[in-house]
Amino acid sequence: MKKYRRSFVSLLTASSFVVLAVTGILAFVQPFSIAIVGLHALLGFVFVGIIALHVANNLSLLSRYGRTKLLWLSLAITASITGLFLWQPRPIRSVLSLSQNFGPAVEQFAMDETGLLYHYNPAANYQMRLSIRTGENFDLKKPPNVAIWLENASSYHIKTLHGPEDIQARASLPYWDFKVRGWEDAKRQAAESGQDLNQQLMLDGVTSATQNSSFDPADYILPANQENPLPYRLLLEIDQQEDDESSLVYAVDIDNNDPRAFQLLDLVGYPKREEDDEGKEVWDLYFVDGGFESTLTLIDSVLLTIER
Amino acid sequence: MTSSSNSKDETQNKTRRGFLQHTVLGSAFAGMTIASTSHVTAQTLADAEEPEITQGVDVLVVGGGTAGHVAAIQAGRLGAKTLIVERNSQLGGTTTTAGVAFPGLFDAWGKQVIAGIGWELVTESVDLDGGTLPNFAKVPQKHWQNQVYTNQFLYAILAEQKCAEAGVEIAYYEFPQGVTKTDTGWQVDCVGFGTKRRIQCKQIIDCTGGAEVVGMLGFPRFREEERQPGSYLFMLGEKHEPGRNQIQRLYVHGADSTNSRTATEANLTGRKAILDRVRQSKQRLMHMQPETGFRETYRIQGETVITVNDYTSGRVFDDAISYAFYPVDLHTKSGVRPKPLRPGTVPTISLGALIPKGSRNLIVAGRSVSSDRLANSGLRVQASCMGMGQAAGVAASLAARSGSTPLEIPLKEIHSVLREHGQIVPQKA
Repeated sequence: MKKYRRSFVSLLTASSFVVLAVTGILAFVQPFSIAIVGLHALLGFVFVGIIALHVANNLSLLSRYGRTKLLWLSLAITASITGLFLWQPRPIRSVLSLSQNFGPAVEQFAMDETGLLYHYNPAANYQMRLSIRTGENFDLKKPPNVAIWLENASSYHIKTLHGPEDIQARASLPYWDFKVRGWEDAKRQAAESGQDLNQQLMLDGVTSATQNSSFDPADYILPANQENPLPYRLLLEIDQQEDDESSLVYAVDIDNNDPRAFQLLDLVGYPKREEDDEGKEVWDLYFVDGGFESTLTLIDSVLLTIER
Repeated sequence: MTSSSNSKDETQNKTRRGFLQHTVLGSAFAGMTIASTSHVTAQTLADAEEPEITQGVDVLVVGGGTAGHVAAIQAGRLGAKTLIVERNSQLGGTTTTAGVAFPGLFDAWGKQVIAGIGWELVTESVDLDGGTLPNFAKVPQKHWQNQVYTNQFLYAILAEQKCAEAGVEIAYYEFPQGVTKTDTGWQVDCVGFGTKRRIQCKQIIDCTGGAEVVGMLGFPRFREEERQPGSYLFMLGEKHEPGRNQIQRLYVHGADSTNSRTATEANLTGRKAILDRVRQSKQRLMHMQPETGFRETYRIQGETVITVNDYTSGRVFDDAISYAFYPVDLHTKSGVRPKPLRPGTVPTISLGALIPKGSRNLIVAGRSVSSDRLANSGLRVQASCMGMGQAAGVAASLAARSGSTPLEIPLKEIHSVLREHGQIVPQKA
């Protein structure tokens, strides 16, 4: 019985490892497949359990290995690879840039006196560059909080390109924070109800001919169906935490049907907290009135460049 | 004995209970019947028996739709003797008969850009209905968000009331059959069931949507080989609350309001599809509009043609008489992908785009405005058509008063009257 259990766990370890390895490679080469990345990630959790059983079954053997010098060599190699991948020197970055998937390796955010530069290079055939030229009230010593994100045609958050982790900073960018929370809630509810996210979220009822957009960033940035790409929106929220003024939101619509290399972001409005009919928190944007001074001059202009 | 006695008592009780039930239900039913019927008496017309009538007016408005009723009210308020001829049984057109009871857009970039009579009607009907108006200071997430949910039934009645108050005569179920030029303007022969009406008028405002009068007179107009689909509005399985909820719609491809035959075909197609849906879904049909809402037919060749570049650049025409605001919104077989206007851009409508090229004493208002197809896909919406209607009402009335033609009325005068009547007039920066 014990023998069968060991064989079963070993086979389970091997078979799940094959799926993990294949989905890992697919995730590297195939952009944004939620199915592949989801399978890889979820199987990772299962794999932890299987490995625990596998280690338990082979504990005596492993403890014997642990008494040899090979233990230190293997630990050193693992630590070196982990450190190298975390550090991401140029050769590693260039290998990562071959990936069709998105991740920190393909995003850069830099800031100096002249401006903020966000560079996004998810694939060899796609480069997004957001050049934010600073205005007179921009202070590099006390830089403003900035969030950059994408929304689909139904105004749902689909991907944050850059945003603060710090809670206070997030609170100073309430519109982005609200959108992210809404998106996370919808994802959680969709998972709980077993519904597709497209069904979970409100359909665009008035222009019913327009189908609700996808929630997969790949469908926008690197669409598989080149003939019918979906329009989307890039938004930027900026706030100087020390002043008394609200944050401001800039945006630009991106339509791959009508691709343009250069587009300027437009000032859309400022966020204001409200309650919906059920008393739930809602953040809406309002057109900028006369109540703004310093925040208006944090940014001079924002230029979006997309090389497709 | 006991058993028989009990049985008798039960029978008597049942009889009594039955009587009471019937009496109560009967009374309730009778009460309901009485409560749901009230009485009013229509005015007896002196010429009701006459099959042919002749009358003279200053301004004849043909078509009582989105632009037409506004034009007529405006003309009436300016003291012009005005007749409005409408082939259906109510005013409001797309807003009422087609059920697109969420007119827009009256605002752009945080400010109201179209007001006047159209806005007056919309706000009054919303107020009377206990509805809410959009907050124009709020940035709409979708272009249609600031459309105003309106009770179509109230809107239609209010339009009639405002016509009556302005002294506008309404002729339902009638449409023009022939138009001829006279020394003082036009002679228009209209027919309705049991009625032939000969109208001598100084000015015609063609608000038919398809520039039908312009077509009768032989002025150039054009239409696309393939038109945008129409929309048939209905409600399946859900309660329809006018002025509150969205209504389901069916795209009727090939819908064409060129003439009664093409319009009939569109309506038959739409209704058949709705019947199929009822059968498939096994849900109750809770509401259905009487006809298809048409998006596109003929556009006139005007003194000015508004191009999509004029529209998307927000060109302020020298003879601009009203604003318009909506994305370029061309509906096709595969749906619609609106192209929003750039922030700050507010297109304008030229008076010349309402005047058929080479015509006198004739002006159009509504979706047949002289424009290319893409510009028209944004210009055709209700608030913009209401703006055109009011401007046409002013121009035609002033022309009728002065014995000239709308294009000869000084623009300053048109602007001044429009402002007096609550409209927002475009200004050069």
